[in-house]
Amino acid sequence: MKSVIGCALATLIFASGAAQAQSEITVWSWGSAAPGLEATIPGFNAEHPDITVKVEKLGYSDVKSRVLAACAAGGVGLPDVFQFQNIEMELITAQFPECAADLVPLGFDAGAQSAFPEFKLFALRDEDRMLGMPWDSGPVVMFYRRDFYDKAGVDADSLTTWDDFMTAGAAIQAANPGVTMINDNLNGGTENFRMIAEEQNCGYFTNDGQAISVAEPGCVAALETVKTMVDDKLVAAADFNQKITNVTANAVATLMNGAWMEGVIRNGAPADQSGKWGVAIMPSITADGAHASNFGGSLLAIANNSDKKAAAYTFLSYALGTKAGQITMLKDQGLVPSLTSALEDPYVDEPSAFWGGQKIWKLILGRLPLISPINGSEFFSDADQVMLSVQTAYLNGQYTSAQEAMDDAAKQIGFATGLPIAQ
Amino acid sequence: MRRRNLTAYGFLSPYLLIFAAFWLWPIIYSFYLSFLSTRRAPWTFNPSMTWLRITQDTAFYNALWNTLKILAIQVPAMVFLATVLAVLLNSQLLRARGLIRFAFFAPVVIGEAAYAAVFRLMFNTDFGIVNKTLQAIGLSKVDWFANPSAAMSLIIMAVTWRWVGYNAIIILSGLQSIQTDVYEAATLERVSPRQQFFHITLPLLRPVLVFCFVLSVIGSMQLFAEPYLITNMGGPGGATETLGLFLYRQGFLNLNFGYASAIAYTIAALAVAISALNMWIGRDRT
Repeated sequence: MKSVIGCALATLIFASGAAQAQSEITVWSWGSAAPGLEATIPGFNAEHPDITVKVEKLGYSDVKSRVLAACAAGGVGLPDVFQFQNIEMELITAQFPECAADLVPLGFDAGAQSAFPEFKLFALRDEDRMLGMPWDSGPVVMFYRRDFYDKAGVDADSLTTWDDFMTAGAAIQAANPGVTMINDNLNGGTENFRMIAEEQNCGYFTNDGQAISVAEPGCVAALETVKTMVDDKLVAAADFNQKITNVTANAVATLMNGAWMEGVIRNGAPADQSGKWGVAIMPSITADGAHASNFGGSLLAIANNSDKKAAAYTFLSYALGTKAGQITMLKDQGLVPSLTSALEDPYVDEPSAFWGGQKIWKLILGRLPLISPINGSEFFSDADQVMLSVQTAYLNGQYTSAQEAMDDAAKQIGFATGLPIAQ
Repeated sequence: MRRRNLTAYGFLSPYLLIFAAFWLWPIIYSFYLSFLSTRRAPWTFNPSMTWLRITQDTAFYNALWNTLKILAIQVPAMVFLATVLAVLLNSQLLRARGLIRFAFFAPVVIGEAAYAAVFRLMFNTDFGIVNKTLQAIGLSKVDWFANPSAAMSLIIMAVTWRWVGYNAIIILSGLQSIQTDVYEAATLERVSPRQQFFHITLPLLRPVLVFCFVLSVIGSMQLFAEPYLITNMGGPGGATETLGLFLYRQGFLNLNFGYASAIAYTIAALAVAISALNMWIGRDRT
């Protein structure tokens, strides 16, 4: 027995000695992005067998808080690569510019950068440095249940305004007992508000990030729309996991989300829902609106204190920087590529059986050029927390009007950030 | 200094060094930080972004108010329940005492994340057992996570469920330290059991009850895991946001270390003040 262990030990030592050229990189990622990234590993290893990639899937807020805590501690405990949301990245670029590695010397030069659209690069730039590589974007669309809509005789493509949507919602709920028209993370987030507001070209801050724009008409109208829907009992409160529960339980007719929800629904819904789902363009407050908005979308950054930066960059440039990598993630998890060239892949013209034979990617990618990007600024978390509590108070009738609520939100955000309110 | 003392400090030095590095220094440094605006690098001296803000910040007052609500409702309710429970657990009529005592103590042993997940499921609006039961007996369902008052009562229920047994065991040990001959004498004097409880048990239990109060007050001031895990980071919209959670948000989500330090000092001062008040009320009046 002893000799067996001895042999095994010797083999192990020998093996590890032989594999010294091998480097292993660890990635922190969340949600459907993690399995998407994992799907690119076989293709990557075919080209680079010497680099092992380990994707650790954590919750979104776990990644965020662990990365920020690690950055505050000078980078201690960071993995080699971590995912971050574009809209929140300025928190790191502004507060911990040394936490994420500059990718320019690793090869992400102006030429490589030009493969991505400017609105995805903006938050990653720190003067001449580039602190991450764009991953996916989140053009907003409506994911809806064809069978529920049909039962009420509603044509999803005819819902141009939110008023149309609400009228249809009442009919759909009447025709399908136990079904709610739409979900919103009312209790823990401002998702629907932000999507509706951005469609009206309104965000928390002006595009230069120097003033607070939350009290502008677009945002006020968006908050009113959210309240009307809640008051009409067309909304069930659900965070990300509860949305999936509601999908499985046939309890929701529509989900409005960034396109990355496509993979979550397709991979998470029970098999008998295949063919019952469809995708539609989002409604607008006014009929002539852009009907386009962005929600979510991430990047990958390399920890500055990683000793495997070159290997990590090699992986990034395959997974995010090649058509093969990006299309793999689109097929597997519905992650919409930021890489412009990937949008011309023949795959985007294919119909999808789960979505009732619809050519969903043609519709979704068609939204991209219409999106007016929003500046998250480094104060995004501050503003979003204020907005959440103001939204709750407004929904509970603690303000007389949406304008009053938003003026209060602007005042509070100003207090937290020191920025002026846009005139 | 005498040689003997030097040797003693020599032996203490590893601890003192760790204490200085991980306790004393952060305490001093965060006091310094509480005067800086840490919104943008480089950090500058600007107490109006921290100490002035804290006096005017509606979000801070909301968190303070929530914490005080929990203090005022949950702590007395829990100590009352724990006392009743301790008296029942102390009863001679009770069978399988060891098992039952453990059963009430068990919630403390369970990890916060696990019990929070179970509470979230039980109180789920559409599929949870609590709402299903309410509907089965003809009541309307409660939107536990969307209604501010319901969410607050959920937090209070959860914290009470978790800590009532723990406090009951402490009070039970207090009960058992009361000499039985006091009760025997009272019984001979025909003092009713109810009077015995109010005139013998409660006064003799006072030091233990004060101890439970102070522990629970400090615990409530630092309450974090329940609102973070059960009501989705203090939801809905900050209705269950406690001071602990507010501090965490400002420090580690908004990276506003200056403001977070000012909040930390405020929480510490409040905890000291409320505990002192508790001890003053519960002092021996001899």
